[in-house]
Amino acid sequence: MKVRLEKVPHATLVIAEGRLDFGAAPAFQKELEQAVTAAHAAGGQVKALIVDCAALDYVSSAGLRSFLQAARASQRAGVVFALSTLQPAVREVFDLSGFSRMIPIHADRTAALARISSAKSPDGQ
Amino acid sequence: MRGSRAGSAVQEIQDSTQESQPGAELLSPPPAALRAFDGLTAPVKRLAELLLVRPGPWSRAFENLIVALIVVSIASIGVGAIPGLPEWALVALRIEEIGVVAFFSFEYLLRIVAARKKLAFIFSFAGIVDFLAIAPSLLTGFDTRWLRTLRLLRLLRLLKLQTHYLEATVTERTRELAAKNLALEQAHAQIQAELDAAHAVQVAILPARFPARTGCDGAARMISAASMCGDFYDFIELVDGRVGLVIADVSGHGVPAAFFMAVARTSLRDVAAHHAEPGACLAQTNQALCAQNPMDLFVTVFYCVLDPRTGVLRYANGGHNPPYLLRADGTIDALDGQGGLVLGVMPEAEFPDHTVELHAGDRLVLYTDGLTEAFNAANEAYGPERLIAQLRASGELAAAPLIERICASVKEFSGSAAQSDDITLTVIGWDPR
Repeated sequence: MKVRLEKVPHATLVIAEGRLDFGAAPAFQKELEQAVTAAHAAGGQVKALIVDCAALDYVSSAGLRSFLQAARASQRAGVVFALSTLQPAVREVFDLSGFSRMIPIHADRTAALARISSAKSPDGQ
Repeated sequence: MRGSRAGSAVQEIQDSTQESQPGAELLSPPPAALRAFDGLTAPVKRLAELLLVRPGPWSRAFENLIVALIVVSIASIGVGAIPGLPEWALVALRIEEIGVVAFFSFEYLLRIVAARKKLAFIFSFAGIVDFLAIAPSLLTGFDTRWLRTLRLLRLLRLLKLQTHYLEATVTERTRELAAKNLALEQAHAQIQAELDAAHAVQVAILPARFPARTGCDGAARMISAASMCGDFYDFIELVDGRVGLVIADVSGHGVPAAFFMAVARTSLRDVAAHHAEPGACLAQTNQALCAQNPMDLFVTVFYCVLDPRTGVLRYANGGHNPPYLLRADGTIDALDGQGGLVLGVMPEAEFPDHTVELHAGDRLVLYTDGLTEAFNAANEAYGPERLIAQLRASGELAAAPLIERICASVKEFSGSAAQSDDITLTVIGWDPR
């Protein structure tokens, strides 16, 4: 899988592409954790980390775990963590596992960013 | 660095010359003249050892000095061949030649002193070359220019030394590599053996067959992708005559997943003995897992309790893919009543209970997503559709042959593609007749 970072005002976009399985999860998790650390270090400049999943085709249980750990790291760092633009199959994995009730999921990037700029507290929803 | 290695290579050559005549010293003691020579040259011997035998700054410097003098003396032989040189240059060359020959003679003697078998050294390749480098000047005066070019042989000798050194290094490195490879292979074999043993333990703690007392037809199959499996299933006989069925999938696989699986399975088994409702069992197991989860692992668990007397099935789902109920009339229902979160993440998670009634001839098919997410070489997933098609076409197959049929179908579908996740499948048929 491929991961690309993009800076927008007040947020870092993580654009994930491909299959997030057992093999890809550790590297992806590291990437997310580094983004969280960088966001935290930027102080008030970066309020949120949004993972754009439009090109993410598959998420295994190991992949879910990397999202879980990133969400926890974000919470500790006081950074909003959210997902956007999930493909239906990936959305099903998040619904089935109950993760969609733990991690804010937005229809698309714009909605996610709008949500972040209006949010006062770091817990999104 | 290089000089010191060349120095130790000198020693190796001398040693190997000695080794070619094992025990020669004992059989034929050195001539009396040489013994006397030994006695007279004790300080020289110490010097010889310092400069030629013992690796260190002195032997390094000496080695470099020799190389420099060989080059200077060969260059001066060339310069001396130029016709019409002024007198002062001829004098300088003459002095240089005396100095070089004196130095090489001194070095030659030192080498004889340093050699433990002196005759062997004198008649070795190195010894003869060293002698030829000084012999023309010593024996015939100083005007045998062409003979002095024999000194070029000393360069050859240096080359031979270097080659010998390289060969010795290559041999040594090859030996080290072979030893390391062997150690690595042994370590790998040991780790593999331990993983295999652990896998055997893991499989052994899961029930091999469905409790016969219930009168149900049950079977299970687990195919792990790695040595250690993150999936598990369980059949739990409860004191009230009901039977608990579990299917679960720990995030990831390998040793941490296997440990987490063992903890999850044991907790659920303990809890199941004390709680009638599946949802309460999952809630309590979840709390136990959250309390001891240093690696942030989690497990999806589907847990149901079947009353074999009535066919009433109560179930709760912790983030697992819903099992299929294959009705005797051919319809297929997913047990997709609202579930809860995966276990091990949030201690306060709740798991709603649901009820479904089985009829005679109904079969319950529980599986992990390694089955529906088995990929083929074209990167397509097996998917629930293919599983459902297999179930539809299965007629009235009993549990074990139905599992066999599904596994064969997945295997055929995946073809040469490597299995990426553990596959676990459990089938329970209920027929009170």
